[in-house]
Amino acid sequence: MEQSQPQPQPQSQGQKVSLKPAKPAKQQQPPQDKTAASAPADAAGGDKLSPAELKKRAKAEKAARRAREKSERDLAGGAAGGQGPNTLPGKKGSDAGASAGAPAAKAQKAIPRRGSAQPGSQGGVAVVKKKQEDKTVAVFGHLYGQQRRTTIAGAGKEVHPAVLALGLQLRDYVICGSSARCVATLLAFKRVIESYTTPKGTSLSRHLTTHLSHQITYLSTCRPLSISQGNAIRALKLEISSIDPSVPETEAKPSLCEFIDSFIREKITVADQVIAGSAAQKIKDGDVVVTFAGSSIVKQTLLTAFKQGKKFRVSIIDSRPLFEGKNLARTLANAGLEVQYSLISGISHAIKDATKVFLGAHAMTSNGRLYSRVGTALVAMSAKERAGGVEIPVLVCCETVKFTDRVALDSIVVNEIADADELVLTQPPHQLTDLPDPAAAPGPEPKKGSKTDPSESLAALNTTGSPLKDWRDTRNLQLLNLMYDVTPAEYVDMVVTEMGSLPPSAVPIVHRMSTNM
Amino acid sequence: MASADSQISKPSGPFDIVATYNELLHSDPDLTMPIAAIEALVLLLTHSPSSTISETLDLLEKSTTHLKKSIPNPIGLSAGTDLFQRYLITTLQRPGQLGPAGDFNAIRAHLLSNSRLFIRRAKESRDKIAAFGRGFVRDGSTVLTNGGSRVVASLLQQAADEKGGPSAVRFNVIYVLSSPKGDIENPTAEPEGMETVRALRTTGVPVATIPESAVAYSLGKADVVIVGAEGVVENGGIVSRMGTYQIGLLAKAMGKPFYVVAESHKFVRLYPLGQYDLPIEQRVIDFKTQEDVNAAKQQQTTATNTSETPRRLRSEFHPDAVDFTPPHLISALITDSGVLTPSAVSEELIKIWF
Repeated sequence: MEQSQPQPQPQSQGQKVSLKPAKPAKQQQPPQDKTAASAPADAAGGDKLSPAELKKRAKAEKAARRAREKSERDLAGGAAGGQGPNTLPGKKGSDAGASAGAPAAKAQKAIPRRGSAQPGSQGGVAVVKKKQEDKTVAVFGHLYGQQRRTTIAGAGKEVHPAVLALGLQLRDYVICGSSARCVATLLAFKRVIESYTTPKGTSLSRHLTTHLSHQITYLSTCRPLSISQGNAIRALKLEISSIDPSVPETEAKPSLCEFIDSFIREKITVADQVIAGSAAQKIKDGDVVVTFAGSSIVKQTLLTAFKQGKKFRVSIIDSRPLFEGKNLARTLANAGLEVQYSLISGISHAIKDATKVFLGAHAMTSNGRLYSRVGTALVAMSAKERAGGVEIPVLVCCETVKFTDRVALDSIVVNEIADADELVLTQPPHQLTDLPDPAAAPGPEPKKGSKTDPSESLAALNTTGSPLKDWRDTRNLQLLNLMYDVTPAEYVDMVVTEMGSLPPSAVPIVHRMSTNM
Repeated sequence: MASADSQISKPSGPFDIVATYNELLHSDPDLTMPIAAIEALVLLLTHSPSSTISETLDLLEKSTTHLKKSIPNPIGLSAGTDLFQRYLITTLQRPGQLGPAGDFNAIRAHLLSNSRLFIRRAKESRDKIAAFGRGFVRDGSTVLTNGGSRVVASLLQQAADEKGGPSAVRFNVIYVLSSPKGDIENPTAEPEGMETVRALRTTGVPVATIPESAVAYSLGKADVVIVGAEGVVENGGIVSRMGTYQIGLLAKAMGKPFYVVAESHKFVRLYPLGQYDLPIEQRVIDFKTQEDVNAAKQQQTTATNTSETPRRLRSEFHPDAVDFTPPHLISALITDSGVLTPSAVSEELIKIWF
């Protein structure tokens, strides 16, 4: 699938090429950087694989990616001279900004360094290629691995048009939210299966998984897969592999489509109704319900409670850059609820008269922690550590399909980094005068925790539009756009699932039960 | 109070489940609420002429709701009824002779015999708990406890009993007694727990009795707090006699271990988020002006309706009021299925229910 790829294709394409050879790279020496030249041969060999092998390959890819980034950093260190191995590329001697250097040093300390690799590695991070300066935030360096695909050009010929379209929708957040992504993926796969014919010489149960793997690889280059997508895909692959090879294709395909339909129905549609029903019971008259961003299941819960005639207020906390709460606010207000909308910067005010917090989830990890849109942890913490007040119960509404056996201790190891340009590309306030907008300069960056040098951003002020527009050319400036954070289990009182209400500590038990069935 | 309830409840056919339940509770002081409920339901099944499964389940459902409505605090009771219903359904769903295809009379006979077995086992569980929990009472320690829990009483009794084995320990007990004046219907009654206090003193255990207001003062002298529970809820917290929550808070503040003793049939499928999230209405906090007090008094003197009087009186202060102790205050739960952390309770409950 990768053979015909044009080599000089910048950024995402280049990234993809260098990903493929990673599998054999593991068998050899992980830290040794694989050059892109050997890509076609290896990719060709890695095409027909069983699911187990695929999993192995994914693991190997990850290992190789990490190794590559590490070696890149080492490389940079080598360039700057022996005594300063931690400085970033493009920085000469004393010129190196302390602000950017410090986190890099920290990350280097955490990861044991290996011998420096030879140059010639394809830039793991697209940003670096054009400029000399590394625009990745070092602590999160391991998350930059997969640059998001920008176009459908170069996608393998096996990728179904429905999946191609879905990939772009996922990338542009047209389809956003864990459940929605899961449903959309399954529906697209249903179309893939419908139009699939088994090639001669293979059986459906063997070949279809490989065929689906191509679709999955494509989707994951558009946006990293969510936990729910992963769980659904796993269930689907298990179902495919359990099909008897003697079953004719005409029978197997409808049964798989039926399986997908019932999976969506049982695990998401009906589950959502059950959750909304039982979570709505927890809303009492006079409550002030705080919610963060725009969770579809929380929306359903609030609407259910409202339909039951409960009298309560809703306070929606939202944040940049996705503003998912805006749609929720509009829907609830149109339905007749009393809605207050504020940004996360006003959390301490919004939480003051709150009586309950309802949160959606991207995933629930096995140590009971909630993995959700960045900012959720702050909302949960504000509710539980409210100064001088009684703590407010925090409820999480989550389908069991979002449970994972992974363990998350912090939001650094597992996370997703979105395009940093999303932080910049906001419409600047329309101005009639020539004066720079005083609010624009310090505005966006502290919220996302990015590091910036004030003098640099001030210098950028005279450029039109956002002061951060030229952040790639601005020295000492890094932007960080994280997607998720992890809320400790102590901040969650109750997880409402379709199997009942649980304390967060019961997540692994229920996960085990729901996957064994 | 209980007899008043059975009077106002409308009889459900020839067999009155509420009256049976109350009778059972009164006749056997060792009986807990969930067990009494299960026994009442078993008696109901023996009396009922139902011949199909759905009829049986329907009857069970109706009587359970009726029973729950007629009892002021159905939390403890519902643990028993839910468990029984669940047990029935799983038995009926099982394939084979006793499944839906089998002879219904055989199923019924089997159910009844098994239910009796269940009741007997539940009664035995108290001894099991005492065996588990004895290790928590150390030689020379002081135990603080409250309420009239029979499990706590049997645990302490066993620990003190010389015949209980060579490991009999010498310990002191601080017994928190709720003020008897809360019980309006029977003002001369002695506070709950006096019986246990006397029994312990007879065995030779030094017991100090303190009012609820002296808990904080006395806790410094105690090494461990052991309390009973009316119901253990899904998140590992407990619903218990009013006053337990404050003991839990104080024990946490002073760093004393806080143990809960409860039979596993007291596990309830309930998930309260706080004190005011319990599915029962308790008028503990009742704001009044002098005007309201006068009006209430007048109504009380004019009211001849028997059903009105006890309700009014109870609103003054309910002697059976309960509070909710959240799981983070509890060190461990000593149950007949072992010593559990609060978070393990949900696991046990999931095992029963799925």
